[in-house]
Amino acid sequence: MLKKALRALPVALAVAAVAGTSAAQAPEDVLQALIDKHESAYLTQSPQNLMMMPDNPAYDLIEQGEALFKQARGPKNASLEKCDLGKGPGVVKGAYVELPRYFADTRQVMDLESRLVYCMKTLQGFTDDDPAIKKRHGSDSDMMKLQTYIGSQSNGMPWNPPMKHPMEKAMRNAGEVMFYRRSGPMDFNCATCHAQTGKRIRASVLPNVNVPEEWTKAISWPAHRVSHDHARSSQHRVLECLWQMRYPNIKPGSDASIALISFWTDAARGQPAIVPDLKR
Amino acid sequence: MFKKTTLAASLAVASALLLSTSVGMASGTTRTETATAPAKASAVGKPRAVNYARMRPEALAEHLIFNTDSYDLAQPTQEGTTGRDRLTQDETQKICSELAYKRKDIDGKTAEKIQALAEATIKYPEGGIKLGDWKKGRELAWSGFGFRTAHNPDRHGPGREPGANCYNCHQLAEDRMGGTLGPSLTGFGKLRGSSPEMLKYAYDVIYNPHVYFACTSMPRMGANGVMTQEQIQDVLAYLFDPASPVNK
Repeated sequence: MLKKALRALPVALAVAAVAGTSAAQAPEDVLQALIDKHESAYLTQSPQNLMMMPDNPAYDLIEQGEALFKQARGPKNASLEKCDLGKGPGVVKGAYVELPRYFADTRQVMDLESRLVYCMKTLQGFTDDDPAIKKRHGSDSDMMKLQTYIGSQSNGMPWNPPMKHPMEKAMRNAGEVMFYRRSGPMDFNCATCHAQTGKRIRASVLPNVNVPEEWTKAISWPAHRVSHDHARSSQHRVLECLWQMRYPNIKPGSDASIALISFWTDAARGQPAIVPDLKR
Repeated sequence: MFKKTTLAASLAVASALLLSTSVGMASGTTRTETATAPAKASAVGKPRAVNYARMRPEALAEHLIFNTDSYDLAQPTQEGTTGRDRLTQDETQKICSELAYKRKDIDGKTAEKIQALAEATIKYPEGGIKLGDWKKGRELAWSGFGFRTAHNPDRHGPGREPGANCYNCHQLAEDRMGGTLGPSLTGFGKLRGSSPEMLKYAYDVIYNPHVYFACTSMPRMGANGVMTQEQIQDVLAYLFDPASPVNK
């Protein structure tokens, strides 16, 4: 009996070790683990969405995105397998939780979307007018398929944007200023809605930037938006918030958008990414 | 003469090389910055390389907003201005933003200043404040439409008036669900009565709440031109009229 148990022990330990690597968890498990250790009206506001997560329509985009990533495409007939997302050419695993980051080849801080566009241009030869790059939104876009695939390879890993290069710090700090900067006819800043816990806009519970355990869900994009019936990106979230704030159109991949995303990613530091997520 | 020219030319080449190397080497000098240098130059008067990493966060934020082609600054707005105007701060916005960024509470002197700025903005209807139509006020209070631009501009027009956005942040009548960013206003008139002083107080708070609550999150609906005096009086009726669902 004891012998048998001893023989089984290494197997059990191995299984536990595998289960312990959070990347092996599904997004719904990552979220459930957060809910179990941190009480948050924001995390638990939609029991329907929690129930739907195992059937998240965005899961289909992971495979489609992986196929696109590995397929030779564009005028240069190349795949994205040499794309350096920050952890070396072709390294996708864990890349997303370390973005935005500074890239020496462009001398810019780039987020997932702008880096992906850069790779599609330089490696595959796509231009701004090609639908592969031009169409940024919608579950049927290459952009959302690729982002969902890349993002999913960081699911369960803690957000860890580098903040080592002076440019990374500068963009994060400017993003923080922008987060608290009021303007427009309604005097809104991001903090109007995102600096308190458990408050609601109408029926929607708002996430608090100062609570990393709930903020991680707020910034976990791509996510399938049930009310839109599409997967959405971080850049789309920026756009929609600014629309509600009565701000003018912000351009995808713009430095202002990346500064905001740098700050909000840093605010979730250490908490696990939930990608792809399912949201209201 | 010939020698001199060659020397000058090679010097020019060398300095050009030096310049490009130094631009290239300087960590944090991006292509975007090089591209925006002319715009910067026209604004400031002389060309200047911009190094994000050497700027204070506040200065970099302003630079990113206005000088990096991040926003559509020329985008037309419903009030006939541009995106640039929407992003340009007035004094109240500047002061309140800085306090929020520094996580500082407002001090008495600053509060007085904000209140004085607010007081100067408030205009009253000719013939004094009167309650309007609570049914119109109810729809205004519910509507979050109006003044949104970005990728999907609201088209104001007959039957599509900008709303007052009250329910976004406040609970009012109990037949509809409101937000909780602001205090509940359920039973507002019933609890407070509708004396001229109370009407003026509510009118002021909707018109420019900073006159009582310096650096509040509540928008300045009258002062910023989001609501007309007539619309404010319709919302006042929704708050005070005994027949309004708010007071049921």
